[in-house]
Amino acid sequence: MRSPSKSSIQGLLLRHEVLLLGLLFVEILFFLNNARNFGTPENLSNILRHSAEIGLLALAMMPVVLTGGIDLSVGSTLGLCAVLLGVMTHSWHWATFPAALATIGFGGVAGGINALLITTLRLPPLIVTLGTYSLFRGLAEAITQGSKTYREFEPSFLGLAEQQFAGIPIQGWVLVAGALFFGLLVHSTTFGRSFRAIGYSPEGTRYAGIPVLWRTALPYLLTGFTAGIAALLFTARLRQARADAGSGYELAAITAVVLGGTSIFGGSGTVYGTLTGVAAIALLSNGISRIPAVLQAGIGGELASLLTGALLLIALATPKLLKILQDRKRDQTA
Amino acid sequence: MNRYFRELSVASALLLLLGVLAIWAPHFYQPQPLLSRFTAQSPTLILTIGMTLVMLVRQIDISVGSQFGICAVVAGLLAGKGLPMPLVFLATLTTGTLMGALNGTLVATLGLPSIVVSLATMVTWAEVLRLTQQGRLINLPEGTQWFGLSQVNGQLLILAGAIAFLTFSAWFLKNRAAGRFVYAVGSDAEAARLAGINPKTTTFMVFAVMGALSGLAALINLVQSPQVDPKCGVGLELRAIAAAVVGGVAVSGGRGRLWGTFLGLLLLSTINPALTFLHVEAYWEKAIQGLVILLAVVADGFRSRNQNA
Amino acid sequence: MKRSQFLALFTAPALALLPGCGKSGDSAAAPGSTAPSGGGAAKKVTVAFLPKSKGNLYFGTCEKGARVAAKELGIDFLFDGPTNTDPAKQNEIVENWITLGVDVIAVSCENPEGISSALKKAQTKGVKVVTYDSDSAPDARSFFVNQATAQGIGEALMDNAAQLVGEEGEFAIIAGSLTAANMNEWRKYIEARLAEKYPKMKLVATKPCDDQKDKAQQETTNLLGAYPNLKCVMAISSLAVPGAAEAVKQAGKTGVVKVMGLGLPSENRAYVKEGVTQSVILWNVEDLGYLTVQTAVALANGTLKAGDKTLKAGRLNEVEVNGTSVLLGKPLVFTKENIDQFQF
Repeated sequence: MRSPSKSSIQGLLLRHEVLLLGLLFVEILFFLNNARNFGTPENLSNILRHSAEIGLLALAMMPVVLTGGIDLSVGSTLGLCAVLLGVMTHSWHWATFPAALATIGFGGVAGGINALLITTLRLPPLIVTLGTYSLFRGLAEAITQGSKTYREFEPSFLGLAEQQFAGIPIQGWVLVAGALFFGLLVHSTTFGRSFRAIGYSPEGTRYAGIPVLWRTALPYLLTGFTAGIAALLFTARLRQARADAGSGYELAAITAVVLGGTSIFGGSGTVYGTLTGVAAIALLSNGISRIPAVLQAGIGGELASLLTGALLLIALATPKLLKILQDRKRDQTA
Repeated sequence: MNRYFRELSVASALLLLLGVLAIWAPHFYQPQPLLSRFTAQSPTLILTIGMTLVMLVRQIDISVGSQFGICAVVAGLLAGKGLPMPLVFLATLTTGTLMGALNGTLVATLGLPSIVVSLATMVTWAEVLRLTQQGRLINLPEGTQWFGLSQVNGQLLILAGAIAFLTFSAWFLKNRAAGRFVYAVGSDAEAARLAGINPKTTTFMVFAVMGALSGLAALINLVQSPQVDPKCGVGLELRAIAAAVVGGVAVSGGRGRLWGTFLGLLLLSTINPALTFLHVEAYWEKAIQGLVILLAVVADGFRSRNQNA
Repeated sequence: MKRSQFLALFTAPALALLPGCGKSGDSAAAPGSTAPSGGGAAKKVTVAFLPKSKGNLYFGTCEKGARVAAKELGIDFLFDGPTNTDPAKQNEIVENWITLGVDVIAVSCENPEGISSALKKAQTKGVKVVTYDSDSAPDARSFFVNQATAQGIGEALMDNAAQLVGEEGEFAIIAGSLTAANMNEWRKYIEARLAEKYPKMKLVATKPCDDQKDKAQQETTNLLGAYPNLKCVMAISSLAVPGAAEAVKQAGKTGVVKVMGLGLPSENRAYVKEGVTQSVILWNVEDLGYLTVQTAVALANGTLKAGDKTLKAGRLNEVEVNGTSVLLGKPLVFTKENIDQFQF
């Protein structure tokens, strides 16, 4: 948890991201040769469409993890927002546009609750968001009585999920916007630098005169808003809103962030690393399910999960192993 | 008083709930179903003891549900092959310990974050289960259920065993050196190291013990039914973590007691039947569970804030 | 098993790459040579088979029957499905299969509304679509292999429960989850039938068991205590039936509280024979998978067209076609008397 020195962290980080990019490259080459119709434009645009929600959540999760926190409630927030969208458009007969804006707002409120509990009461994020993970999903179930499904949304809203702009699906553009927003926030503003500082040492940051509370709160607020946006994409794509929307997305998002080289203890990581992590996982699960032998055996889903787990461990363990080997070599020469 | 604030507040919440049940749903206290309910929670109690240890050394293990499932299937398959029960127990505990030791090696030796390591192993074991078992129930040979005893005796034996194990663990943690090591490493690994404790070994051991306890829990679960469901471990990790948290174990390590965890588990596992007995619709359950977890931590937050101020 | 063979096939070459493990190359060659040659063959029909979820015995049995038919017909059979609870996964798999270049997609729909748009997309790209087990919107597929309609299942369950308790008394439902679309359909028809025909019966509670046997057992234990007058537990998820039975047995209420529901005979045999579970209802699941692939291939070859009244389906002989529904036949009711005749 305590790291030896800043420069060696950056050294490892560099190695991690180079490693990951290399791996992405190998993945692409392998699938181009072995997976059926992997490189077709339709498939690439499908990959974008399918990974947009988890991708957005991962981008929003990144600053949270950077401050040394975690948000287990994002998937449940997505589910609650999707259900609230259904309530507003169906039970309250709101027009889609104001309802969509309000959905994003509700996401912000959910994120705000997390932020409030974590900052003002200084509670551990893992526990607070474990509670809201249950609470938000539970509210979604209670509102729908578990079984109500909202269908028949406005066609123009549903159409968004199928549309392309300049040959790239709308989801792709949303993902690009999210990446730019979080990239600029984390890497080019004082906010971003303070996230990193808080994750590295909250006490030190406070002594440096940075308003730690507010800046710890911001990432949770942003994950809430982002979950609201992801709920819109999800509902449009699936043409329905139901209480189980986004189940398990919190773990998928965290996996992408950690695979992308952000330290789970906070203090180091990059947004483009997270994007690479999202891409590595999305390509893996898509490509694996296109290898003829895998399809015939019918184990695409299982294999994708297994390999993602293995990838995560390898990506984390390799730098540590290298370092251990280096230390050993140094000890021998000394 | 202050020292046992959390235990007392959880206990009063539990008493309140039990009081409500006594007034509005006295059926709740019929002895036989009560015994069945308690016995059914014994495996979770064992897991929760392990999770408390893991959290005390400032780690977390979200793979316990999957480990539990693997152990249950291993035990079920071996028992189904006609292996004598003592051997089945040994093999299952070994399987659990090995899985725990894998987590322990990755966390303690390589210094990888436990949440990520156990996330990866959780997925791995769950997929292995799916690939090999396809969700198929395993039928156990006759005489496995209740160790071949009558149902009531079997249930009493399991319950007494689980409580005895809890008491032993609590005593061990408090009074034995190895138990104090756990607290020391969780409070401040560096200070523990300077005091001559090896934090890596302690962490490794805790994960290995967690694995062994997954095996033990799976066995206690196995003997309660004539069939094993390969999905029996799904979601148990969250229940164990929630029980520990409600019972006052700090995720920042070094703080918490097994009796608190026990009360936390009692409270959480009473909510679900209580809602049924009070005729509350099932779709409120998850929200209420979440609320209880939040209330427990928020109460703690307010208390510590007032103390600091 | 097919899967373990495949795993061996997948790991053996990897091991062979390591020095000193060369010997395993021999064993890898054996299964490798028997494996189908993939896309290389001439015009071979490719059927892609999508269950609602993987890792449960119901769809595992479906897959088994489907593979038998695929082997008989000599087609390329592809299989994948959601491994987790993510409701978006089915859509993704269908959209992936469209770009994969398959001939027919056979799907059991978890979310009819959502997946229908993806299936229509498939149809416009020239991929034929059949549904089985759980239908999509009618215009999103050519044929539905119909084991029983939601209405038929709901009414059969309600009638069976009523018959067991003499059309009088309290009963409770244990469902797989509260959100699953098909179970909600069944519940709708169960409740409609209840209101219409059995005024003296009362549905006191519906509890989810997360498709876990132990959870079903705990919920049933609670229900038995909370509703002392309970006469019957109706379990509408296959793992819920043995769970409910174990709870009734442990409560010492065997025969007093009836247990019935939808489930596989193999998982309920002991309880049915002991008299804890009175009846289990299900169609022949293996045949469902078999008939689905037969239908898919007939559709691809043009031997099955709109308006046909029958379909020649291998070992099932002539199967009735009603409109766009290929009928599997009536659900089977397994009781103490006949359960030993069924091995799935």
